Amino acid sequence: MNNFSIKNLFEFNKTPLNLLVAVLGIVLLGAFLAGAAYYILHGHHAFNVTRQHPWGLLIAMYVFFVVSSTGLCIISSIGHVFGVEEFQQIGKRAIAGAIITLLSGFAVIALEVGHPVTMIIYNVLTPGFTSAIWWMGTLYGIYLVFITIEFFFLTIKVDHKWSKIFGIGGLLSGLAAHSNLGAVFGFLISRPTANGVFYPVYFILSAMITGCYLLYIIYGFKYRNDYPEQLKAMFLKLNKILGMLLGILIFFEAWKIITALYGTMPERAETILHVISSPTFIFGEVLLGMLIPFAIILFTNGQAIKPMVYASLTGMIGIFFMRYDLVHDTLIYPMTMLKRSEYQLPPTFLEYFPSATEFAIGFGGIGITIFLFYVAEKVFNLDPDREH
Amino acid sequence: MKAEISRRRFLQGSVALSIAGGVSMSPSAIMASASASTKPEDIGKTKKVATLCEMCVNKCAAFAYVKNGIVTKLDPNPYFPKSRNMLCPRGNSGLAAIYDVDRLKYPLIRDGEKGSGKFKRATWDEAYSYISEKLTKILDEEKDNRSTVAFCAGEGMAEHTFKNFYTGFGSAHFLNHASLCLATTVSGYSLTIGGYGQADLENADYVVMAGANRAEAIVTPDSMDFFKRTTGRGAKLVVVDPRFTNTAAKSDKWLGINVGTDLAFVLALTYVVIKEDIYNKEFVENHFNDFATYKKHVLQNEYTPEWAEKITGIKAEDIYQVARDFMHHAPQSIYYQGRRTTWSKNDFQLRRAQAIFSALGGGIDIKGGICFGKSIAMEGHEVSAPIYDQAKSRIDAKEAAVVGGSGTWVGFRNMVLEGRNPYPIRALFNYKHNPMANMPNSAKTEAFLKKLDLVVTIDTMPSDTVMLSDVILPECTYLERTDPAKVYGGIEPAIVQRNKVVEPMYESKPVIEIMRGLSKKVSKPLFEITKKYDEEVQDTIEEDGEEATYEEFDLTKAFEESQEDLNHHAVAKYAGAAESLHAKGVFYPNMDKYFKKLNVNEYEYYPESKKYYSVMNKKFKTPSGKIECNLSSLTKRGIDAMPTWKKEYEIAVPDGQFRFITGRHAQFTQSGSSNNKMLLDLVPTNYMWINKRVASRMGIKFGDEVEVASKVGKTTIKAYPTEKIGLDTIFFIHGFGNKSQELTLASGNGGNDANIIEDSIEPMHGATCLHDTIVEIRKV
Amino acid sequence: MARYGMALDYKSCINCRACESACKAENGVLPGRDNYRIWVGQKEAEGEFPNISIASMTYHPSQCQHCDNAPCQQVCPTNATYYDDNGVVRVDIEKCILCTYCINACPYDARYVDDRTVTVDKCNFCSDTRLANGETTTACQATCPTKVRTFGDLDDPNSDISQLIAKREYKQVKEHLGTKPKLFYLL
Ligand SMILES: Nc1nc2c(c(=O)[nH]1)N[C@H]1C(S)=C(S)[C@@H](COP(=O)(O)OP(=O)(O)OC[C@H]3O[C@@H](n4cnc5c(=O)[nH]c(N)nc54)[C@H](O)[C@@H]3O)O[C@H]1N2
Ligand SMILES: Nc1nc2c(c(=O)[nH]1)N[C@H]1C(S)=C(S)[C@@H](COP(=O)(O)OP(=O)(O)OC[C@H]3O[C@@H](n4cnc5c(=O)[nH]c(N)nc54)[C@H](O)[C@@H]3O)O[C@H]1N2
Ligand code: SF4
Ligand code: SF4
Ligand code: SF4
Ligand code: SF4
Ligand code: SF4
Ligand SMILES: [Mo]
Repeated sequence: MNNFSIKNLFEFNKTPLNLLVAVLGIVLLGAFLAGAAYYILHGHHAFNVTRQHPWGLLIAMYVFFVVSSTGLCIISSIGHVFGVEEFQQIGKRAIAGAIITLLSGFAVIALEVGHPVTMIIYNVLTPGFTSAIWWMGTLYGIYLVFITIEFFFLTIKVDHKWSKIFGIGGLLSGLAAHSNLGAVFGFLISRPTANGVFYPVYFILSAMITGCYLLYIIYGFKYRNDYPEQLKAMFLKLNKILGMLLGILIFFEAWKIITALYGTMPERAETILHVISSPTFIFGEVLLGMLIPFAIILFTNGQAIKPMVYASLTGMIGIFFMRYDLVHDTLIYPMTMLKRSEYQLPPTFLEYFPSATEFAIGFGGIGITIFLFYVAEKVFNLDPDREH
Repeated sequence: MKAEISRRRFLQGSVALSIAGGVSMSPSAIMASASASTKPEDIGKTKKVATLCEMCVNKCAAFAYVKNGIVTKLDPNPYFPKSRNMLCPRGNSGLAAIYDVDRLKYPLIRDGEKGSGKFKRATWDEAYSYISEKLTKILDEEKDNRSTVAFCAGEGMAEHTFKNFYTGFGSAHFLNHASLCLATTVSGYSLTIGGYGQADLENADYVVMAGANRAEAIVTPDSMDFFKRTTGRGAKLVVVDPRFTNTAAKSDKWLGINVGTDLAFVLALTYVVIKEDIYNKEFVENHFNDFATYKKHVLQNEYTPEWAEKITGIKAEDIYQVARDFMHHAPQSIYYQGRRTTWSKNDFQLRRAQAIFSALGGGIDIKGGICFGKSIAMEGHEVSAPIYDQAKSRIDAKEAAVVGGSGTWVGFRNMVLEGRNPYPIRALFNYKHNPMANMPNSAKTEAFLKKLDLVVTIDTMPSDTVMLSDVILPECTYLERTDPAKVYGGIEPAIVQRNKVVEPMYESKPVIEIMRGLSKKVSKPLFEITKKYDEEVQDTIEEDGEEATYEEFDLTKAFEESQEDLNHHAVAKYAGAAESLHAKGVFYPNMDKYFKKLNVNEYEYYPESKKYYSVMNKKFKTPSGKIECNLSSLTKRGIDAMPTWKKEYEIAVPDGQFRFITGRHAQFTQSGSSNNKMLLDLVPTNYMWINKRVASRMGIKFGDEVEVASKVGKTTIKAYPTEKIGLDTIFFIHGFGNKSQELTLASGNGGNDANIIEDSIEPMHGATCLHDTIVEIRKV
Repeated sequence: MARYGMALDYKSCINCRACESACKAENGVLPGRDNYRIWVGQKEAEGEFPNISIASMTYHPSQCQHCDNAPCQQVCPTNATYYDDNGVVRVDIEKCILCTYCINACPYDARYVDDRTVTVDKCNFCSDTRLANGETTTACQATCPTKVRTFGDLDDPNSDISQLIAKREYKQVKEHLGTKPKLFYLL
């Protein structure tokens, strides 16, 4: 632990970038609180979700956060679980990040689930074992416990044996939780585009990619693109891993699309066709999320670090669109194509645009992440221990 | 001797009230539970009261559930054969009618310019006094010409109670919805086959429904009986309508006819069956009067399907087909009479042609055809209808060939506006009727109402007409009153009674109590006026004394008894009837024996052998006792003796313009339910139907606001482009676009058809022509 | 103990929507765009005036299918959605956490958020209103002008519904999803 006081909590190097992030963090945090207040007053009416499109930005942001958490956990485990030397230095910061993004995700989902307290009670009293949400939620709970203890043994009471044990526990529960999050969508037999094995696998894959992107960003910010050799070595490895992961992801996605279109199964093919022609998919997911980072890795032979930091920023924007589209595209095809009243247009693909409150809460979650990270950096020593 | 003659002079005759006098047994014991407000021991308990829906004309039987004095739910009541255990969406939404916050709560007297919407709250007594003063002044000035005061009413169980007041008052002017609704079809069928009848849709094999939309414009039991048997399940249905309606959706064939050309269609059908000799020979031989002339008329005029195709837009081959199929299934074939038939100038002739065509198949007074059925006698009670010497006859009698007891409303209004009335019309009593919304050309209706010195409206809601009245008397809603027991005759006749479910809210009252209070106030002062101007009355007073003479003119007599007592006595001769009417809302002889539950959904009311399918013994209620083809007596009055197509019936629609038609849908009743929260939840507003291709050419998309304008007015409404309507026709649902600011939900909601419909009348009864208006539209 | 289901003679439906208003009144369903337990589906007419396809204008009365194998029940994390003793799929408002997962999971759009309880609501065959009071019909069935609906016990071979589905052919909606719906659309 660092020497920590309220006073030094407000002391930081007032560089333009730091100031920018500080302002951003405060604004987002404020937005979160405002959104939360508005939601508490107006309930679900504060959101633009409807009966036909019951999930929206908040679910997407929740997924975004927990994917980030799982991704950081998996990537950090390369070091302290699997013992790859170069990755051991990022352990503490990555686990801290995993905890922080998970907490941010929980904060967002607590405002999406109507009765979070009831949830805690009845998750235990009358568990729904057939429910992917139950497993996902429960496993994430366990995961949080594991990685918190892991963090404890990494930073407060340094103990490598225990940190490794809990690290393994965290990794396994994280993987389980995360594939169940995929199953939350994959189990929806009502939604042919989501139903199947794709999402559980895809979720793990995209989590790892997210973890990579986040590490670039976190360390890029921390070292202002001036890295110690040690870190450079890690990044070069990370480049290769990321390149490979992106390659697999692109391959996966392509086959998913081809199989969905093949045979033109009415609901599924129509939906996918609609999805792949939407700008959020083409520019968001494909270009920003996959192609730009992938192209950079490819064309620099995995040697570029600085560009990858920037590419990771576009990558994270892409990842956001992946989460958003995941939710939206799953729900886009109405469960009935019939009109319910003579005086309305025939149903088409559903439209959804988040409300101000949803934006405030969803993106406000990033404020929580920034804030907690800042506090964590102040309170804990997240750099590798010297004696290590 | 002289006295006797005089006395008789004062009586127009006697008028049967729908209710009876005399006491046989106190019904108060029976009624107590229904009328008493919540007793402490009843709190938290649910009670069930048999009542009748009055959200529209059908009067379906209902059970109302009441908890702590509040009506919580309306359920269908299975006992009434006519309503067959159902409540339509409007019936269910009666809850929102009784608990509508905008309801009229207290008597109101105008307190500002007419139409300013300013009223002051009054007590009932103040309101009656105000009316009394105004009436005495008017009648004094008009020298007791009672006809200077007109009465109008919408349809309702208690319309008769209001009419009793009119009868006693002695005006010649009664005006009701008939000339806005069904006058032409009722008389068209009556004069031709001896009655309007009941189409036996439970047993018909083949039905042509032209301009009748039973899936949306609900008429019981037709709507319920028929659609269980359509779409390949026993009954063939041909729908003829310029729009593809919900009824068309249930048809085997839909013919999208040009508006106003049905007569050509029916004449062509007739031509085919005559030409091909496929009508019911035996029936025509024995039961038609002067068929030969009609046959010649149809053949000579060459009303061929090819001729009709050009006029109607219906393919000749379809006409051949329908004619042949109709006769193939006859006599279980019906050309459905239709109900709101105030469309165009030729409407009476159209209904005559339909009736004759239907009869050509022999499907009259027979199972599966048009039946006349039977009534059940109730004990009538005669109430005197005094004669006022100074009361002049109807002003609108010459506006059309035959102006009946309910007048030509539009003709009457226009005469007054145009100053063509031979004597002044000064006042109007209006019961349960909204002429501002339901008479074409609302600008004229407004001017008419403003022109009158006294308009008294009895309503439940602040309608547009209410807002243009001088005195507003709030009636309680149907759930808060017991109304006159009534017989519904037909194949399965029954007596029904609406029982009060809860006490009237606010200061509202049932019309019988309003009439009681009003007649008490006005009877004597009005008699004073009569005394002043009526020499006959002066003479009689001299002979018989004032008191005896006044007896005949005492307006209060008709309202002395309570509705409960009157109902009770009306059915006194049937054992158990009063109890049944109270507990079940329904009674008919042998009900206890006949009524059976068949399954979870269906009930039997009469055994098949006891149903009144055939009752006339082949003697129809026409002058000749036969089907009348040739009504030569009408020619004297300028009406064709036989249905004849005339060039003038072909109204060309100029390019870029449209012919406007109006009508119903299942979720609203005319203008009366436009503020109903539950119904607006189903359908928030009305939309203008416009052909999709035309709309896209005009750049009009779904939901766009458009202005619809005719020669007489305009209105704005949202567009609904659809292929369910033809290229030159525009339609929207009637009853929306109310002006009254007091109607929170209805005010300014949607398009108002009364604003734009031109106000011509047809020649037979002076019924209004609602479909003869050409409109222009423009996106706003 | 029964196994309630409903047979729908849907060709008789005239799209009057009495069932909708009756359900709202009976069950206190609030007004509003998304608030309904029952509805009637229709298409916009196919074809051009005057050649409209009559078949395209068939009305489809609908509500919760009370699936024997209900996706909404499977996905519920707290078992708030459950099968009651009569096989009716119901929501326990005490346990519902309003995750709205079930709304996503229902292939029939049968569920919505009820603002009275701030939990998920749906058709429950009038279990806590009519059935609890000893009625044997649902509000939507009773009120229907053309008697589209027959509600009853599928386990009782003598019930009207059992007789109907034994006698007549029927189809079911999205049967291929394996939901085993208990609404039977009579042909
Ligand atoms: N443009 C156009 N005009 C039409 C028609 C059309 O389709 N289009 N249809 C025509 C036909 S068929 C008819 S029958 C007429 C109908 O015309 P109206 O008889 O005027 O019928 P509603 O519009 O239902 O108005 C009924 C009035 O009665 C009031 N009311 C309801 N219940 C009660 C009650 O219990 N007591 C009292 N005192 N008042 C009550 C309502 O508030 C409302 O003001 O309209 C005709 N006019
Ligand atoms: N839900 C509901 N039911 C009602 C009522 C209500 O307000 N709401 N009102 C009740 C009353 S008072 C009445 S009078 C009846 C009315 O019952 P209907 O007369 O059956 O109903 P409308 O909708 O007035 O008109 C019938 C049809 O005529 C069509 N039409 C218009 N012009 C022409 C034409 O030139 N030729 C042909 N063939 N068709 C044409 C219209 O498109 C419309 O579909 O309904 C009764 N039932
Ligand atoms: S048809 Fe509907 S509104 Fe008319 S009386 Fe029957 S239930 Fe009431
Ligand atoms: S009440 Fe019956 S006819 Fe009316 S919409 Fe509902 S199911 Fe159809
Ligand atoms: S229809 Fe939907 S809500 Fe009803 S049981 Fe099936 S899945 Fe559940
Ligand atoms: S919203 Fe309620 S009923 Fe639906 S799945 Fe969640 S907890 Fe279960
Ligand atoms: S069964 Fe009851 S709860 Fe279900 S739709 Fe019908 S009326 Fe509503
Ligand atoms: Mo009417």
